[in-house]
Amino acid sequence: MRVVDVNRIIGPVPTDDVPSKDAPGLLAELDRIAIDAACVVHSHDLYYDPTAMAELPVDPRLIRVPIVVPGPLGREAPADARLVRLCPSEHRFLLTGSHGLATARELAERDVTVLLALESPGSVHQLASSVPGLRIVLINTGYRALRELADLMDVHPQLRVDTATLCGHLSVEWVVRRYGAHRVLFGTGAPITDDAGPRYQLDHLELPADQVELIAGGNILELIG
Amino acid sequence: MIIDAHGHLGSWYAFAIPDSSTASLVRVMDQCGVSTMCVSHLLAIGPDAAAGNALLLDEIDRYPGRFLGYAVFDPHAPDARARTADLLTRPGIVGLKLHPDTHEYALDGPAYAPAFELAAEHDRLVLSHGMFGSPWCAPEHFATVAARYPSVELLMGHAALFPPGFPAAAAVANQHPNITLELCGSRTTARHIAWLITEVGAHRMAFGSDALFLDLRVGLGRIQLAPITQPDRNQLLTGTMTRLLNR
Repeated sequence: MRVVDVNRIIGPVPTDDVPSKDAPGLLAELDRIAIDAACVVHSHDLYYDPTAMAELPVDPRLIRVPIVVPGPLGREAPADARLVRLCPSEHRFLLTGSHGLATARELAERDVTVLLALESPGSVHQLASSVPGLRIVLINTGYRALRELADLMDVHPQLRVDTATLCGHLSVEWVVRRYGAHRVLFGTGAPITDDAGPRYQLDHLELPADQVELIAGGNILELIG
Repeated sequence: MIIDAHGHLGSWYAFAIPDSSTASLVRVMDQCGVSTMCVSHLLAIGPDAAAGNALLLDEIDRYPGRFLGYAVFDPHAPDARARTADLLTRPGIVGLKLHPDTHEYALDGPAYAPAFELAAEHDRLVLSHGMFGSPWCAPEHFATVAARYPSVELLMGHAALFPPGFPAAAAVANQHPNITLELCGSRTTARHIAWLITEVGAHRMAFGSDALFLDLRVGLGRIQLAPITQPDRNQLLTGTMTRLLNR
């Protein structure tokens, strides 16, 4: 089974001293808990300058996730991007403002998948309704949002969810049984949130092996080609 | 043999638990080798301590050997002392659960005094929700009651919950030998567990999952895959609670 963490940060973070502050440290962390590869956002892009795209060592196990910021003060997706992240809270833009929707339409036309934290279910609903072709992976949902998640996933088939903080009792199994394993992706949110718990959970899901393989890495590898 | 120091039975209003049956919890316990879970009932933490504690006793009976119980003490209930005195004599009840944040009543307030007095009298544990920055149950509240009731073994739930509070939780545990840090929490990482071990030692910490509020596998995995030694892991998973339950 190939395990790919769809939701990871590389680089130093402002709240802690983390092993993943550089690439060797992150790779050692991945090795320690048997994660084969990670989709990584650089912490400088997230917490310093989202328009600059910080340098990242080339490594086949580290899949760069560029940050995209809509609008005249923002940054477009690189031409070769298959997976990007939108951070309306951190970077203070309107997800469903005119620039946000224009960016979403462009990403949908280019078949780019978007990582998006579930911070405002109403905005996600508006975005998914306005741009139904945009493929979105909701990340960092938290264990309390299952009803809101269901509200969204019931009506927007292009929505998927990561497992980083989908940590309510048997919540992952419930989402898989209702929406299908193709809409659930293994993620951790590390180092801000825990990687060990979701990794252990992945090995102990009450699901058939073929579904676990999709969650572990099959789905993201298909999305990013 | 893994002992989970902090679990729950029942359901909760603020979010959906897709399967809140005790059977589903036992099934997950079996999958990942948790032999015993120390639990309180969520109905008792929420609106009805008397009814919830009765359900707790029923479930302990229904699954012999799998659950040990914390009876919830409601500081607002006029008959709390009498009810609790009775509950502490029941088989399987190993201590009291306090939730100052839900009850909006400070851990060191006078209405909780009977809980600590009864715990001391019956030699039972007290597990309290702990939360850094809370006006009800921050680490400093634990320091106050730990000093006031030195014979009571007090578990600080979630080790103060929020990562910025872990240093304060560790400091209070180091100052008061009757405080044990219980480790569940949705914001805790395996790295935090390792750090707390360096600060207070694994013998002062106990694994808890918060299941079925949270997914048992996530909390357990945080310990099983933490960058710590195997003896420390064994201490967290078994040793500390074995000591506290058998003292």
